[in-house]
Amino acid sequence: MALSSLIRKKEDTFCKIKNIMFLISLTRIIRFALQNFYRNIWLSIITITIIILTLFSLTSLIVINAGVSQAILTIKNKVDISIYFKNSTNESTVNPLKEKISAYTNVKEVELITASEALEKFKNNHKNDPLIQKALQELDANPLGPTLTVKAHDVNLYQQILSQLKQDKIDQLAEEIDYDDNKLVIERLEAISQKVQRLGLIISIIFAIISLLVVFNTIRIGIYTHKEEIGIMKLVGASNWFIRAPFLLEGIIYALLGNIIFWLLFYLAAGFLQPFLFAFFIDINFNLINYLVSHFLYIFGFELIIIIILNTISSFIAIGKYLKV
Amino acid sequence: MTKKIMIQFRNVSKTYPPNVHALKNATFHIKPGEFIFLVGQSGTGKTTAVRLLIAEEKVSAGRIIVGGWDITHIPRRHVPLLRRQIGVVWQDFKLLPKKTAFENIAFALEVSGSENSRIQKIVPQVLKIVGLEDKAIRYPAQLSGGEQQRISIARALVHRPKILIADEPTGNLDAVNTREIIDILQKINEFGTTVLLVTHNRDIVNSLKKRVITLDHGIVIADQEKGRYFL
Repeated sequence: MALSSLIRKKEDTFCKIKNIMFLISLTRIIRFALQNFYRNIWLSIITITIIILTLFSLTSLIVINAGVSQAILTIKNKVDISIYFKNSTNESTVNPLKEKISAYTNVKEVELITASEALEKFKNNHKNDPLIQKALQELDANPLGPTLTVKAHDVNLYQQILSQLKQDKIDQLAEEIDYDDNKLVIERLEAISQKVQRLGLIISIIFAIISLLVVFNTIRIGIYTHKEEIGIMKLVGASNWFIRAPFLLEGIIYALLGNIIFWLLFYLAAGFLQPFLFAFFIDINFNLINYLVSHFLYIFGFELIIIIILNTISSFIAIGKYLKV
Repeated sequence: MTKKIMIQFRNVSKTYPPNVHALKNATFHIKPGEFIFLVGQSGTGKTTAVRLLIAEEKVSAGRIIVGGWDITHIPRRHVPLLRRQIGVVWQDFKLLPKKTAFENIAFALEVSGSENSRIQKIVPQVLKIVGLEDKAIRYPAQLSGGEQQRISIARALVHRPKILIADEPTGNLDAVNTREIIDILQKINEFGTTVLLVTHNRDIVNSLKKRVITLDHGIVIADQEKGRYFL
């Protein structure tokens, strides 16, 4: 029989048993990948360690970012305009004003604090100050008037609102208009946040490059030790993908193990640090563990994909040159 | 006509840049079941001819047809198929040091996706052909040179190739082992496999009285039935 028809016949048979063959090859590929992993256990450990370090810098960046944005948000929320009225002012006078201010397009919400509420709040705020408590007791009537608290959609809109209040002559009705300008603090925070992001990005890029080089080198050394084997595989008729696949799979195993170990360590560390962090973040209401739990799939998936892509590209490049037999 | 020819070299040339001419206009035909010596001194293009046959290299000019299949411009994805049709034995054995004899032979079947049951059946068969069925679990380092070469011949046989190419298979062996290897190759040839034996061992060529193709500086200078080594 001519060799070509023999080959054609063989190719037909190939198609028929393709599925079985695929499974057989797959189990062999997995076996070879695990063998490579065990037989170069030190290289594997080093690669995984580098992946963990990369993930640490990347995740820290994400968490710090989230914390800083939460801080800015909290401070922004604390900015408001308080309009204090005289204690003689009726709520019937204040209520229409509340409606009026609420109608401003740049106003998010207006809150009315009645005179009695204001007194309660004041008492509460100074409950440890006996002098003030005593003074209050000596007063017959409520010295405080109602207050309107105005919140804008954005910090930059408060100046507009102030001038609008002036236009509508509300400032004349009020005893005092108090605007606690936190703008400077916010600007500073945003500047810091940008710097943190930029620094984090640079650190992440450096780590990504180091990781890329180390992963690339690890896989290259691994492949170099298999150079002879690859050549023989090719000469006895192995296809390129059959040779490549175990190495690519090995890269995915590195990525998976690196990610899992990293997250275990990170959760342990976060749980350990949580009390300290809680004290630090108490004013901005940021819970690291809760944040990680609620964003886990997103961050984990993102980082896993990044590392897998990194490893796949490295092994693809590294193995390419030994396949040209 | 092509059916009666197993290997055809038609005006094959191979030039390595800048201007090393490994083969120049080589033409010869090999019929199925033949036992052929390809002889010549070192660097005369014998190994190049082998490398061209298993598509390790591409020809610079001319055509190569194997069993009616023109492999001159063989696509990369078909190269593994070609190599599973041609058994090759090398001077340096090319065995994997960390695998046993059995595993080395099984390896050639594994990479081509053979089922495990088939591997369990074929490997003992080929081990028997080379007479090493009792050394299946030895590692290459635990075998003599001649035994290692017999393992590599066994590996070359697992795909039941129509052609067996042996490139200086006895180059690293003493006279006794050389004799054994040649006997095995003759036995394989008697089963119907075409054997192309590349060598510069004068004694073997002269004692077997088979067809001899002689290369000199990349040129086929002689092609004789029952030839002799005359260089």
